[in-house]
Amino acid sequence: MNAIEIRNLYKNFGQKQAVCGLNMTVPKGAIYGFIGENGSGKSTTEKMICGLIHPTSGTILINGKSHTDIDERSKMSSLIESPGCFPNCSVWNNLMLQATNLSITNKEDAVRKVLTLVRMEGAAGNKYKNCSLGMKQRIGIAMALLGDPELLILDEPINGLDVDGMRIMREILVDLALNHQKTIVISSHILGELEKIATHYGIIRQGKMIKEMTAEEFNAECRTYIALKSKDLEKTKFILKEKYNRVEEDEDGYLRIYDNVESSLIVEYLYNLNIIINEIKIDKVGLEEYYIDLMNEKKGR
Amino acid sequence: MNKKMSISFESPSFIKRLKGMLGVDFYRLFHTPLFYIFLIIAGIIPALVSMGFSTTDPVTGQITGSTLENIWIMIAAKEPLYVVSDIAEYANMNMVFIFGGIMVSIFIGHDYKSGYVKQLFTTHAKKQDYTLSKSISCAFAIVCMCITYLIGTVVAGIFLQASFEVNVGSLIIAILSKMIMSLGWASLYTFLNIIFRRYFGISIASSFFFGTGILIIGAAAILGNSSILNIFLYGSSVYACLSSNILTLIVCIVNSVGWFIFYNIVGTYVLNKSDVY
Repeated sequence: MNAIEIRNLYKNFGQKQAVCGLNMTVPKGAIYGFIGENGSGKSTTEKMICGLIHPTSGTILINGKSHTDIDERSKMSSLIESPGCFPNCSVWNNLMLQATNLSITNKEDAVRKVLTLVRMEGAAGNKYKNCSLGMKQRIGIAMALLGDPELLILDEPINGLDVDGMRIMREILVDLALNHQKTIVISSHILGELEKIATHYGIIRQGKMIKEMTAEEFNAECRTYIALKSKDLEKTKFILKEKYNRVEEDEDGYLRIYDNVESSLIVEYLYNLNIIINEIKIDKVGLEEYYIDLMNEKKGR
Repeated sequence: MNKKMSISFESPSFIKRLKGMLGVDFYRLFHTPLFYIFLIIAGIIPALVSMGFSTTDPVTGQITGSTLENIWIMIAAKEPLYVVSDIAEYANMNMVFIFGGIMVSIFIGHDYKSGYVKQLFTTHAKKQDYTLSKSISCAFAIVCMCITYLIGTVVAGIFLQASFEVNVGSLIIAILSKMIMSLGWASLYTFLNIIFRRYFGISIASSFFFGTGILIIGAAAILGNSSILNIFLYGSSVYACLSSNILTLIVCIVNSVGWFIFYNIVGTYVLNKSDVY
C-alpha cells in the first residue's frame, strides 16, 4: 500500500487553475522529492494532502483511506512554509503546546527527544522570535516529529539554511526515513540537496505531474558525459564539434561531450591534432540539469 | 515459525481530541501575558468608572462618598433596561464582554497570524474540536475577567465608602447569570474570528461592535423594553440585573447554551467549507 495516492486532483482559485489533474504516488518509507517552479502547485498540493485546502475534485488517499479520515490525519504531520509557532513563546513552550495538542502522555520526554533529534537541546529556552532561520526550520521539523507521525509533509524545509544547516537537516531527514521508517514528502528548490536524499521524485509543472520516478530510474535516465579542459578551449571546442554531435561548454570551464564515446578515443583524437588535455573525467547530469532540460523540453512543445 | 507483528494506532476519540485541543488553549491562555493584562483591565474598569461618581470634600479634596445608590450598580442595573439613558445604567459587568471580545479576537487571531492553525488542522481533521475548544477556553477567560471585575468593584466600593446594601440572592444570581452568558459571548466571538480570520483588525472591530450591544440598544429604542430582546446575548446579559430571580438564571443558561450550540455548528460549517492559508 502506498503512503499517498493522488488521482485526478484539481484545485481552482476562482478562474485560476492551481492544480490540474495531478496524479501522485508516494510509496511507504520513501523520501519523495517534490519539484517544481514557483507557482507550479507544490504547496497547494501539500496543503490539500494536509487537509488545509479543499480540492475542487479528485481523490487523495493516505494509506488507502481518505485524507479526511481522522485516524490517518492523526498519523501525519507537516511543516508548510514556516513553523506555526508563537513568536513570544520559548522553543520549549511552543513544542509543549504541540505535544499537548497531540495528547502525548509524557510531554516533557517527547519534547526532549525531538529536540535532541534536531540537535536543538541547547536552545530550548530561547524565544522563538530570537531564533535564526536555520533554528526555526529545525524547530518546525521537531514540531512535526512530535507524536511520532508516520508521514511528514515538508514544504521547503531547507530554504534559507546555511551549508552546515543544510547538512544537519539532510542527516536528520535520512535518519528519519532509514531508522524511524517515516515517509517524507519534501519540496525544495535546492535540487542538489534533494538529490542527495530523495528515493523518489515527482516533477510538477503548471499543476500537472510531468514525471514521477525512483532515484534508480533517475540515475539510469541521466545522461553521462565526458568533461575535459584544455589550454585552448575555443579551438578544442571547434575541433570536437566537427566530430561529435553535442559539445557544450559548462559554467566551470569544462567542455562536455554528450555523445556515447570512449574517453580514450577523444584523448587520442585531440592528441593527434596537437591539443593537450589538462583534465578529463566522466560525469553524470545532475538533478538540476535534468530538471531544467525537462522543463525546456516541455516549454518547447 | 514466523510471528507477524502489527502496530495499531489508537483512534483518537472525541473526548481525547477535545482534551488535547483544550489543553493547548488553556496552556496558551496561562502562558500569554494578554490574559493577565485583560484580567487587570477588567479589575481596573469598575474603579475608574466609579471614580466618576465619587464626591469630594471641596476644602480638603478628599473623597467623601459616592453618588451611586449602591456599589452593586457597577455589577448590574437595578432593572433590566435595554434602552440606555445614562452611563450608570450601561457601565456594569456587561463591559467585560466588550473587553473579553477584544481579548478573544487577539487570542484567536494569533492562531492564524502565527500559522499555528496549520499545525492544528493537519492533525485535527474535525473542525468542531477547534470551535468547541476556543469557545470553552475563551468563556473561561471571560469568567475570570468577571471575577476580577467583581473584586475591582468591591475594592472601589470600599474606597469610595459606597453603600453595599442589596438583595444578596438577586446579586448572586445576577453575577452567576452574567458568568454563564460568557459561554454564549465567547462562542459569538469565536465565530466572528472564524469569519474574519484573514482580517485581524476587522475581527477585533466586529467583536467590539457586537460586544457593546449597540444593535440591541438600537432595537430597544424602537421596541421599548421588550422581553423579546432576552433571546439575544446582550438582552440576556442585561436581564441579569439586581432584581434577578431563578427565572433569570434559567433564561441565561438556556440562552447561553443555545447560542453556544448555534455558533459552534455554524462556525464548524464555515471552517469545513473554507481553506486555511
